[in-house]
Amino acid sequence: MSCFVFYQDASAYLDPGTGSYVLQMLIAGLLGALFFIKLSWKRMKIFISNLFSKNKDDKVFRE
Amino acid sequence: MIKFLENKGIPGSFRDPSGFLFYRNGSIYRQVNAVYKNNYDLLINSNLYKTLLDERLLVSHEEIDTEGAEPDKAYKVLKVERIPFISYPYEWCFSQLKDAALTTLRIQKMALNYGMSLKDASAYNIQFRKCKPIFIDTLSFEKYHEGEPWVAYRQFCQHFLAPLALMSYKDIRLNQLFRIFIDGISLDLASNLLPLRTYLKFSLLSHIHIHAKSQNYFADKAVKKNNRKMSRLSFLGLIDSLEAIVHNMKWEAKGTEWSDYYQDTNYTSNGFGHKKEIVTKYLEKSKPNTVWDLGANVGIFSRIASDRGMQTLSFDIDPAAVEKNYLRCASQNEVNILPLLSDLTNPSPSIGWGNEERMSLLERGPADALFALALIHHLVISNNLPFNKIAKFLSTICKTLIIEFIPKNDSQVKRLLTNREDIFPDYTCNAFEHEFKKFFKIRDSEKIKDSERTLYLMEGV
Repeated sequence: MSCFVFYQDASAYLDPGTGSYVLQMLIAGLLGALFFIKLSWKRMKIFISNLFSKNKDDKVFRE
Repeated sequence: MIKFLENKGIPGSFRDPSGFLFYRNGSIYRQVNAVYKNNYDLLINSNLYKTLLDERLLVSHEEIDTEGAEPDKAYKVLKVERIPFISYPYEWCFSQLKDAALTTLRIQKMALNYGMSLKDASAYNIQFRKCKPIFIDTLSFEKYHEGEPWVAYRQFCQHFLAPLALMSYKDIRLNQLFRIFIDGISLDLASNLLPLRTYLKFSLLSHIHIHAKSQNYFADKAVKKNNRKMSRLSFLGLIDSLEAIVHNMKWEAKGTEWSDYYQDTNYTSNGFGHKKEIVTKYLEKSKPNTVWDLGANVGIFSRIASDRGMQTLSFDIDPAAVEKNYLRCASQNEVNILPLLSDLTNPSPSIGWGNEERMSLLERGPADALFALALIHHLVISNNLPFNKIAKFLSTICKTLIIEFIPKNDSQVKRLLTNREDIFPDYTCNAFEHEFKKFFKIRDSEKIKDSERTLYLMEGV
């Protein structure tokens, strides 16, 4: 569990805190997955609303 | 007013080896050190700097061909846009801290689009310009290396998440902990203070409670390296998660001592209108550029100044009044007024290393003009402050004073004396004028219609 990569940038000056680093690694997978679902849901909503608005526009155009 | 030393680093700008601010010939400059060269070039060449400027999220600068304050370390010298008034998180209301947090996260998301990331997330890197949050540290950006976690995650939680959660779920006054803890509120302290119901919210459970436990557990443990990395998607998920928590954090401005003050005054509408007329007349006579309104409540009188283009600070002790004032500024896009939280009987001290990292209120003055309207009776009767001390203090923070005297036969003063012994035999108009004349010249005075109150225009001597 306590095995993580630590980068050290030449200008890094802030102590990130070991516990804060470790926690990020622990919750990273879950947060990434939730974010992926959120993005996919947003894209799907846009796709569906575009689909309907397109159909509507076509209908208006035909009329 | 604070006097910065010529060609020396400005206190409060010394922790980051990437560079520092210094003062020269009345202007503020930023030295970019050679160690930060690659990141600075990336900030400019990637167009991130221009994008942030276009979105009014970062202070502008101009590269100057001049010697730095420490030339042996210097890569560039920048002349930095000046913020009219520097304020601090312990002087902000709930929504100001919330907007500062959201601005920091918005900048972080934009930086990631340009291959960069914030290497710190200090609340002190945000200031309010034209009443909107703006990022002031040009050297906070570094190249994003995919796989790395966010180096500033701990600081963001301490500077924004913990204080906002405490203000929202526990007590609005807990932002004052910023005055004690220069690097934000420790997560173990926040976790102890927050109510148990916050354990039921996954976001607060993970970013504050478990985070605090993780910090304590790993405080004295060495951690070995391996190849485990944080993907870009997870990184974005972390920022999105923080953004969602902050966005959903709420505090309603009601129920504090002064928040409904104007529904509870003893002015007639005629008297109130007359008071506004006199204040307007005195402002036109004195023509100040900067105005501090002390005890401004929701800023009705502050707006007489700000609507005339005067840079106005609208101070009040009440978090609800400042909140309402700020929300109005934000909704009306007001640019000349900044509401701030301040207890006049205990104004912001200078704090931090050597007591000089963050300036005291006095060091950030004086104002050209000061309003002390419906204030003096609170200072004398509720706080036992003698006229002499009040006059002396006010003379150090302003050149022109617009002050209202409220005599004992006024119903508001009677109310203050209802439950206490009247130990103020010298609380008279004559004594007031006598003491104030030691520090000010009275240029004009006028009694407010339908009231016992008098307004004065005074000039510092």
